[in-house]
Amino acid sequence: MDNLSELLHGFTIAVTVPHLALMATGVLLGILVGVLPGLGAPNGVSLLLPLTFGMQPVSAIILLSSMYWGALFGGSVTSILFNIPGEPSSVATTFDGYPMARDGRPTTALATAFGSAAFGALVGVILITFLASWVAQVALAFGPPEYFAVYFLAFASFVGMGGAAPIKTVVALAIGFAIAAIGIDTVSGSVRLTMGIDELVKGVNFVVAVMGLFGIGELLVAVEEEFHARAVSSKIDWREVFRAVGRLPRHGVALLRSAAIGCWMGITPGGPTAASFMSYGIARRFSRRGRYFGTGEVEGIISPETADHAAGTSALLPMLSLGIPGSATAAVMMGGLMIWGLNPGPMLFVDQKDFVWGLIASMYVGNIVAVALVLLTVPVFAALMRIPFVVIAPLIVIICVVGAYSVSNSYLDVVIMLGFGIVGYLFKKLFYPLAPLVLAIVIGDKAEDAFRQSMLMSKGSLGIFFANKLVTCLVVAGIALLLLPLVLQLARPFRKNAAPATETPAQEKVII
Amino acid sequence: MISRRALELATAILTGSFGVAVVVQSLDNGIGWSSAGVEAGTFPFLTGVIIVAGSLYNLVRGVVPTASLANVPVAITSIELRRLAGLFVPAAIFVAAIPLLGMYVASAAYVFAVLAIPRHQSLLHSAVTAAATALALYVVFERMFQVSLPHGALAAALGF
Repeated sequence: MDNLSELLHGFTIAVTVPHLALMATGVLLGILVGVLPGLGAPNGVSLLLPLTFGMQPVSAIILLSSMYWGALFGGSVTSILFNIPGEPSSVATTFDGYPMARDGRPTTALATAFGSAAFGALVGVILITFLASWVAQVALAFGPPEYFAVYFLAFASFVGMGGAAPIKTVVALAIGFAIAAIGIDTVSGSVRLTMGIDELVKGVNFVVAVMGLFGIGELLVAVEEEFHARAVSSKIDWREVFRAVGRLPRHGVALLRSAAIGCWMGITPGGPTAASFMSYGIARRFSRRGRYFGTGEVEGIISPETADHAAGTSALLPMLSLGIPGSATAAVMMGGLMIWGLNPGPMLFVDQKDFVWGLIASMYVGNIVAVALVLLTVPVFAALMRIPFVVIAPLIVIICVVGAYSVSNSYLDVVIMLGFGIVGYLFKKLFYPLAPLVLAIVIGDKAEDAFRQSMLMSKGSLGIFFANKLVTCLVVAGIALLLLPLVLQLARPFRKNAAPATETPAQEKVII
Repeated sequence: MISRRALELATAILTGSFGVAVVVQSLDNGIGWSSAGVEAGTFPFLTGVIIVAGSLYNLVRGVVPTASLANVPVAITSIELRRLAGLFVPAAIFVAAIPLLGMYVASAAYVFAVLAIPRHQSLLHSAVTAAATALALYVVFERMFQVSLPHGALAAALGF
């Protein structure tokens, strides 16, 4: 209960007029950088950092963290409306968010996403409030084998959930791993798979791949299907925003499960991206309507969004309590902390109580401010869907080009992005699944590094993955998730013989 | 008109050749186990082998039409192909023009060309949209967030 009184004290710091104004400013700027692909929370936070030097540390961190919330929310907007995920963690939102928006329900999709995101973030903050010290210990227990086990678990929960032809899934996954390996190998320092192009030393950035695969690829599919007419028909209804949020409690199980997955992956260094993929995969497997995932299911939006924000929020905890930044944004903020004269780490909770609890209280208030502002902007964003396709198509192309370029100021990235566009179109056309490909690009090299580091520790023995309780549980859970669909598939013919024949058309549609 | 079979074959060959390239490249890094642990080329080598094997399987599946493939003989009709080209060719020209014209001029020209030439919108309307696009890019990226977009060889020659 000590924490609770500290928190109340924190609220008295956070809920003041200047601080609320700072929150609103931060959130609005954050939404802007989140919506614009190629710019993200790290850009925004770095640009605002110099402005904060004259501020009180509490005010400064409130401004920066509000921007972070805004960017997290804004990142989902382009994923849902144009199938262009601005950040790795919002990729899984495109799977059901975009089909729903394209169906003429952009308002519902956006409001559902924001509502569940806010829920996830709140659960994350509550966790931080009550379990700060315990969480820090869990994060410290993680070494390379545990890292690998967490990534393995994320893969296992997502891959092999059926739908696509198995060999095509395997090919897509392997291509993703190979792309992730391009560039400098972080374990040995040697340069890999540059195909004779020196510039590839920096690797293929995830954003470049995703802009092409999803943005351009989807545009090509859309222009071929000629969905011009459907895009215009979307109606804007303010009340739908509240109706969509009001419907959320009906999916309570999905919300709680996703928040739990998110918090777990945020504390353990799996991160928001792995969390959102894993949550989507698990929801698809256990939802009664799992078969319809990929066609615009509400739970297909709730699950990745809740987990993403729960993980994003709880990932700030290791930064505060251990001094280990969990993400690029957290790293920039930590730089700020040091400039303001604070030392991140365990002592922060003792020396700077006002700062820490002011920040934690501002997370509650900031998220409420963010969700209110972002829900107000839903109709504005939804109106974008009414722009005729002939106008929006070249704009999407430009957004993808600028986004790919600004990742590392490289023209080569733009060309690669266009190449990924063709690949995305072909894969979509021929029912190769894109999700495993993207997942492998995002966490493939991290998983590989963790595996090789573990092998170094154990001198080549796989026994290290069963060396202690934590890692054994993770690995066993992963294997179980991997084998589950196989077992179910083997069991199916015995249960009902007629079913598979009728299922095929539905399945073809569901492939992401 | 492009048949489903041709498309499957082309994709399988595309993925397969990527796999071969990965295998060949990863051999340079060394595969297997050395004193420094698992060597850098091992994982790419394995993924490359998997890609090649999977592509071969998909290739064979593409050649021998099974039930699921045979019921979609035509993947892209000629009308669809024309629509695809209508989107992709201008986009490719736009990307190719960036080093010369710079992002701002190229994107304005691209928007104008795509809207005005097929007469989707009036000349004035297209020109306004094009100018607004370039201006928005400039204000947001160059001014607000200080991300420099390529100005192009033309601007450099003119002394910007």
